[in-house]
Parts: sequence; structure tokens; C-alpha cells
Amino acid sequence: MSLLLLVLTINNTLAQTKMSISEAAALQVKVKSLAKTTSTITADFVQKKHLDFLSNDIESNGKLSFKSPNMVKWAYMKPFQYSVLFKDDMLYINNEGEKNNIDIGSNKLFKQLNKLISASITGDMFTTEEFNISYFNTKKGSVVYFSPLNEKFAKYIKEFHISFNNKSEVSAVKMIEPSNDYTLIQFSNRITNQNIPDAVFAH
Amino acid sequence: MRFLLISLVLLVVSCASYPKKKKFKQASKAKFEIENPYFANASLDYVYKADIKVLKKSFSGIFIVKKLNNQHHRIVFTTEMGNKLFDFEFLNETFKINHILPEMDKKILINILKHDFFALIKQNPFSEKQFFKGNSKMFQSELLKKNYYYFFENEKLNKIVRTYNGKEKVTFLFSGNSDNIVSRINIQHSNIKLNIYLKKL
Repeated sequence: MSLLLLVLTINNTLAQTKMSISEAAALQVKVKSLAKTTSTITADFVQKKHLDFLSNDIESNGKLSFKSPNMVKWAYMKPFQYSVLFKDDMLYINNEGEKNNIDIGSNKLFKQLNKLISASITGDMFTTEEFNISYFNTKKGSVVYFSPLNEKFAKYIKEFHISFNNKSEVSAVKMIEPSNDYTLIQFSNRITNQNIPDAVFAH
Repeated sequence: MRFLLISLVLLVVSCASYPKKKKFKQASKAKFEIENPYFANASLDYVYKADIKVLKKSFSGIFIVKKLNNQHHRIVFTTEMGNKLFDFEFLNETFKINHILPEMDKKILINILKHDFFALIKQNPFSEKQFFKGNSKMFQSELLKKNYYYFFENEKLNKIVRTYNGKEKVTFLFSGNSDNIVSRINIQHSNIKLNIYLKKL
């Protein structure tokens, strides 16, 4: 009986297995080529903020719009109306109708973090000078762990976990803090290369 | 001489106690515990959208309070996108910083936030003086060596005021409260340009 349990446990753990070098290389090629041919992305997202001491994760949702190479808008709809637009190295915030670009998020660290978030939308952030990278196969596709090498940065984010579906599209991004609290963003209804009205990226 | 008299009168007026200024009458000098019910339920996660105006800047985020145990609270502030800006903890009167963004790591700011948040979460402040005016009650208390008055309207806590020399320094306004959950909180500072709005999510 206990042997059966052990086997089951191992099987469960094996739901996520380390990729071979060639598998990892193949994923990289796929993600990079997909990123190159992607001019726009829109998707719905659900964000879950996990803090260990809370009874429930804090959930919010909204719509993501991305225009290559680095225009990104996160528009939160629920439970609050808030959008943040990254454009020309600027951060434009619309907080329930109040527009603002002087924000605590405009500091260097957040800019760097948000650049990474932009990169993570296509998943193309395989820069080994910046990260220690590990690749895993999962039931639904794959997941790649990126641990920042920059010590200063690692104080904020211990690891990014980017999940890819079978088409090598990003299906989820998990940002894990050194305390192991994390933010998980899951994407759905992803539409690529459809024209996005300029108004979406206007401020 | 006349000038001196006027000055003296002014001095006496301005030194009048806060309850007197508010036309409250002392009811008793009983020793008892005030009940602040707003962050008192350990089974709840208290999550608020925060809008903060400081000097001419404004920024926003998510303000989270969790009661971990009696006299034990965790207070976390994150951006809407989930980046943690600070993570504070109160155990009794001991204040601990679990995390703070280096840009916010300023003694003055931390000290202000410490006093504000302690007044917000302190569940049973001790009172030695009570005042009344009609249906309103006002209880005096001391938190972290600062002087506070708790205002109750129809038995509901709707305001806390921190005073110094009989003058209002910080005002906490509570509105839209039902089942001991307060939907809106406004913390106004009168000596510095800092205003914190909290809206229950």
C-alpha cells in the first residue's frame, strides 16, 4: 500500500519533468520565432496575489493589450478600474479616471520589472546574462523558471515562472518574491496579430 | 499691559482642552477598554484600494490588513500589479518592518505610518476619561505615547482624532460600516500634506 502511495507520489512529481537540452533549445526557437511574428496580442487576465498570511488570494482581472516591440497596457476591470500603460519608457496610470504619470511605480526597479513583464508576455526573455534558466515539461505544455542573477533585483523577485501552452504561447506568469509570496497572472482568450485601435494606447 | 492680557486670554483659549473645544462634557473617569471592531476578525482578510495624496503627488495601491492573533496584525501595501511596497507587523506595541521598498525607507515616513496604522488596528485601547455631547460619546486614550479621542455616534465608531496641545493632528474618518466592516476610511493629516483614502474591495 505504501509502495503504491510512493509510486503515485513520484508519478505526481513527474507531472513536471526537467527538459533535455535539445527540448529546451527547441522551445526557445519556437518562442523566439513566435515573438518575432507577433505584432499585437490581446488577452483577458486573472491576477492572483498570494500572501501566505491571508486566508484567500486577492483576485483581480482585466484585459491585456500588447503591441510590438514594447507597448503594453494592463487594464484592470475588477474589483477596481485601473490601467497602467508602458509606452516609450513612460508609465501612464489611469486610476479610476484620475490620470497620473508621477507614480511610485516609475522608479528604476519597477521600470526594470515591468520591462520583464513585457518580455514575459511573449516569453522571449532567454537572456542567460540576466537569469539562471531551468526548463520543465508539464502536462499542458512547459514551464520555464527564470532566477535573476542581479543580486539587487533578486531581493524583489526570486523567480519568474513562465508557463507555455502547446503552441508555445505564454499561458501564465508567476512572480515569486524572496518571502515565497507570489503574483500569478493567467491569460485566456488570447488573440494575436489583430489590429488594436490607437485609442487603447493613448493617454 | 493690554497686549499681555490679550495674549494671556488667547493663550488660555488656545490651551483649552480638546473636549472643551468640541463642547463635550466629561461624563466619567472610569477605566475601561474601547472597542474598535474594524480590523478585529481574524478569519477575515481586510483588503482595501488605497489612494494616497502626499504633498502634490498621488499614488495608489492595495492596502491589506490581517489580524493574525490577539494584539498581532500584519499590514501590507502593494501596487495594483502586486509589487510589495511595504510589509509591517504589530505584535502588541512592537513594530516590525518585514519589508520596505528602499525608496520608502525613510524614518519620518515610517514613523507617521506606524502611528497611523497602530491607531487603525488597535482593537481595545484603554480609556480613562469619557465625554459626551447629546448622543455622541468621546473616549480619550493614549497609543504609543500619543493622545487620541475615539468618537462614537449611536454606538458606532465613526472617528478617531489624534491631538497635540488640544489641536487636531490626525483625523480618521470611518463611513459605510456594517457588520463591523468599514467600507471607507479617510486618514487626514493637518500638519503635513498627507491624505490616505481607503475603499473596501
